[in-house]
Amino acid sequence: MVRTTDSPNCTGACGWLATVVDDVIIDLKPAADYPCEAYNPRGCLRGMSMTHMIYGPDRVKKPLIRTGARGEGKWREASWDEALDYVAEHMKRITAEHGADHMLLFNQVVGTGYLQKGAQVRMAAALGMSFATAYDFNGDISMGFTHTVGIDCVECETKSWAEAKYAILWSSNVFQTRIPDAKFLTKHAKQENGCKIVCIDPRCSQTAKGADLWIPISPGTDGAMALAMCYTVIEEGLVDWDFLRTFTDVTTFVRSDNGLRLRAADLGLGSDAEFVVWDEASKDWFVLPSDSLVLPEGLKPAFRGERTVKIGGQDVVCKPVYQILEDTIMREEYRPEHVAKVCDVPAATIRQVALEYATTRPASIVIGMGLNHRLHGDLTIRAVLLLASLVGAHGKPGESVSIYSGQHHFRLDVSSWWFPDGIRPKPCPMHYFVLGGPTETINPKIKYPKDGFKALFCSHANPLVTEFSDLIKETIDKLDLFCVFEFSMSPTADYADVVFPCPTFWEKQELVGTSCHPYLQIQQEVVPPQYDSKTEFWIVNELMRRVSPELHDRYFGISEEEALRMLLENGGKECSGITLEQLRAGPVRLNVHDPECGCDDQFHDMKPFPPRAYPFPEGANKEFVKTGRMEFYKEEEVFGKLGERVPVYKPAFSHLPDDGQAMPLCVVTPHSKWRVHSTHSNNPVLLNLNRKAVVEINPTDADVRGIRDGDTVEIFNHFGSFKLWALVTETIKPGVLCIDHGWWDRYLAGGKYHSVHTHQKVKPTHENYYLPAVYAPGQHWKDTRVDIRKVVNAGRAKRGALVTSGGE
Amino acid sequence: MARYAMLIDLTRCIGCDACTVACKQENGTPLDTFFARVLNIETGKYPHVKRLYVPVLCNHCEDAPCLKACPNKAIFRRQDGIVLLDQERCRGTGACVSACPYGNIILHRDEEDWYLNEDEPYERDFVKPRIREGVARKCTYCAHRVDEGLKPACVVACPTTARIFGDTEDPESEISEYIEAERHRGRETFKLLPEAGTKPGGMYLGPMSDQEVSTLGGRAEVEVFIPDDSVPYTEWDHVKEASK
Repeated sequence: MVRTTDSPNCTGACGWLATVVDDVIIDLKPAADYPCEAYNPRGCLRGMSMTHMIYGPDRVKKPLIRTGARGEGKWREASWDEALDYVAEHMKRITAEHGADHMLLFNQVVGTGYLQKGAQVRMAAALGMSFATAYDFNGDISMGFTHTVGIDCVECETKSWAEAKYAILWSSNVFQTRIPDAKFLTKHAKQENGCKIVCIDPRCSQTAKGADLWIPISPGTDGAMALAMCYTVIEEGLVDWDFLRTFTDVTTFVRSDNGLRLRAADLGLGSDAEFVVWDEASKDWFVLPSDSLVLPEGLKPAFRGERTVKIGGQDVVCKPVYQILEDTIMREEYRPEHVAKVCDVPAATIRQVALEYATTRPASIVIGMGLNHRLHGDLTIRAVLLLASLVGAHGKPGESVSIYSGQHHFRLDVSSWWFPDGIRPKPCPMHYFVLGGPTETINPKIKYPKDGFKALFCSHANPLVTEFSDLIKETIDKLDLFCVFEFSMSPTADYADVVFPCPTFWEKQELVGTSCHPYLQIQQEVVPPQYDSKTEFWIVNELMRRVSPELHDRYFGISEEEALRMLLENGGKECSGITLEQLRAGPVRLNVHDPECGCDDQFHDMKPFPPRAYPFPEGANKEFVKTGRMEFYKEEEVFGKLGERVPVYKPAFSHLPDDGQAMPLCVVTPHSKWRVHSTHSNNPVLLNLNRKAVVEINPTDADVRGIRDGDTVEIFNHFGSFKLWALVTETIKPGVLCIDHGWWDRYLAGGKYHSVHTHQKVKPTHENYYLPAVYAPGQHWKDTRVDIRKVVNAGRAKRGALVTSGGE
Repeated sequence: MARYAMLIDLTRCIGCDACTVACKQENGTPLDTFFARVLNIETGKYPHVKRLYVPVLCNHCEDAPCLKACPNKAIFRRQDGIVLLDQERCRGTGACVSACPYGNIILHRDEEDWYLNEDEPYERDFVKPRIREGVARKCTYCAHRVDEGLKPACVVACPTTARIFGDTEDPESEISEYIEAERHRGRETFKLLPEAGTKPGGMYLGPMSDQEVSTLGGRAEVEVFIPDDSVPYTEWDHVKEASK
């Protein structure tokens, strides 16, 4: 039996005990050996059924070189030497003709595997290749967080949920997406602690089952509800002034002449990087400390009241941010009675939830991607963060706003292994690759290659099963080389020129961290790489040897073991003192607060925002929140142009063309428990339980279209269409369809899953700064609108054939 | 005398099917055979709809009708209450399948289908040899594990620890203490289909509260959001833009 961990993109990083007989894994059971007993056991149906992926029918067993057209499915098996030579020759030629930056590496969720994925980044850095952080392209980057706290997401360790007495799951479906952590809500928070759980979701999801209150909100209107809750909190006088003055920018002043924040330099009191508040006690300006959030005793910063100051000889009227916020929110449009109709939530409920959230302690919010995968998702999240800040609900056990999308987050500083001699690859968001070129507003820090990309290396990724697959295919068609590292013959691998067979998580070592829990773990080579697969570390070594023997010798002359030690020794304060030997014996808790509540350096240790964004140096994200506080006023002109300097509500679909808005139905695309994104789509055991791709539809929408349960139906709009099967259910709001994300097209009744999705668009407020996967463009695929019709003469699925494990 | 039983706390259960898959792996069952299932039940009309997940498995009844129905005496009850089905004695008559009021015995008379390619050692050498084809099958409470002092696979795999297994005759067992503790909190266990009179060993604790729903009951439309331009809230143009 071997103790190991897996590292898929759910990033649960669960500990397992694998039983191996004759080099075959015959059993996987939760290791249940976390020193903190509450974490035991971790694991879920996906991890447990990995045997059927490791030995699954789609396993890539040999290096493959394409012989037909791209995507035609014609291959020949090659030796490793032949495949490596083929790719290396292309790399050398592209480098000579265009430059190495014309080759792009795209590997997913780098935060889940520091060693193997790191080896690929190390190659990209050493050769001067471009590197597309996958996280922003996934749309999981939560720019609302970056705009507010300077880092793209914040989360508490899930153990902290247990302390909550009030929990709002805001479009978060933790019972499906955080299965190993759900116990902290059901068993600990609810059963032991009497926590009230509120679920805001247009569908009565699996998670809504566990909620005391289910609010089927109209999709995309969550920002309006959050601001109406802010309205209630202010109206009822429940504002936590102490929290606001300490941790936020709301006592800083804004100049009426240019919309910028008033600086100490404007008043001759300090530098341009320092900000002032008006102290009601001393009746004088006070310069906020830049190195600490601690304010002197007796300081009484003003929250309201205009002041006129002399700047450059001119009188300039200034106003505190709080007053701008209050003037914005306390208007008719955000009064719960008005917002009720927008959200389809009773005003009484909005008020009740706001009051309960403001007065019950501790109170948590968990945000799901239904809020974020929208063009105006940044505004929604800013509004939710404002709500929590108004009542001071951050940074305590059971009290935080968490968004478990930050799974690329590094638990330690990986720079020593990833960036040899400090050299980094050239960052370029995948958006620009997909768009086929830069936008007009692209950040100048991003160097889009002069001749366009010539090669793409995809690893741990399946971008051809995303909402922009068609666009990606068009761009891939222009490439000289498309090389895929895979263990399963995914639709992306199917479109490649060369496929390198890689091991699953059970056949290679890896250093694994996650945002869900603070344990660092070693993934072990439970069985050797199966079939003819080779580790990413090995493949990259062999490519380097061929492309540049000199750089190979300089940067790749070390073993996996040495690289692991390098990572641990240079990982920074979080992992200092943790040794490989300790990790081989079991999970080791990082040197972090217990429990982690999110932004502990700030809320606990009173250091200014932003938290450090690994693997970037301290201060790399400082300019995103110049005040060093949570910012609810964005002074940059680009926000002013969009009317988004403070959190406001913008209707979700208002950016669609008229024919898009005319479509009668919204479509939500949640993650399901049967897959991790598109991984496990082809897991035979899970397909045995979840047999067909279905669209959930309310009977009122089905009846008017003559659709019955099990019918083959077509989803369509002005972009495209695809077919699948109808699951007529009372659990979804009328006007909303639900299709689980991640189905491979081959499991549909026809067409392409992604063909209906709204087209790529980049928001300029996501481009004014750039830091890979921290400040970068987000995604908006949930803004799609569609209609549905019955496919005539297509037959019906048998009753009970759609879902199993009991059925009705 | 011991009486092994399974308690499932529906407050803890999240309907994740980890039990379903853990059981499948432990017992090496073929395609379409699930000893541990999770019923996904929805009741009511939108918006007053409820979801309920009810994990089910063989109840190891004290008065097991399957045992009485089997013409080949292939089903027997151990001293510790575990009801087992002897693959060697079973002739696949299906009498037990008809007799079980819970539908928890599975019989495929045709050749079994499997998941992986035939040449994969995992299934070929480690899974298929463990079963006989054409016989009835059901949950054994993982008797082979229980005999080793381990808990059933579905219990150790349950990520919310919703499944409590043990000896209800022993007042100090985990299951007895759990039942007692929850009784003090006003929660009583119940059994499925008590009217069937089989004295099942499986029991449940219900969800802790009734779910409220709050909505105006409308449809999700492209919403009409009327910005409030009637009251100018600031004299500053650049801030006014923020309200658009």
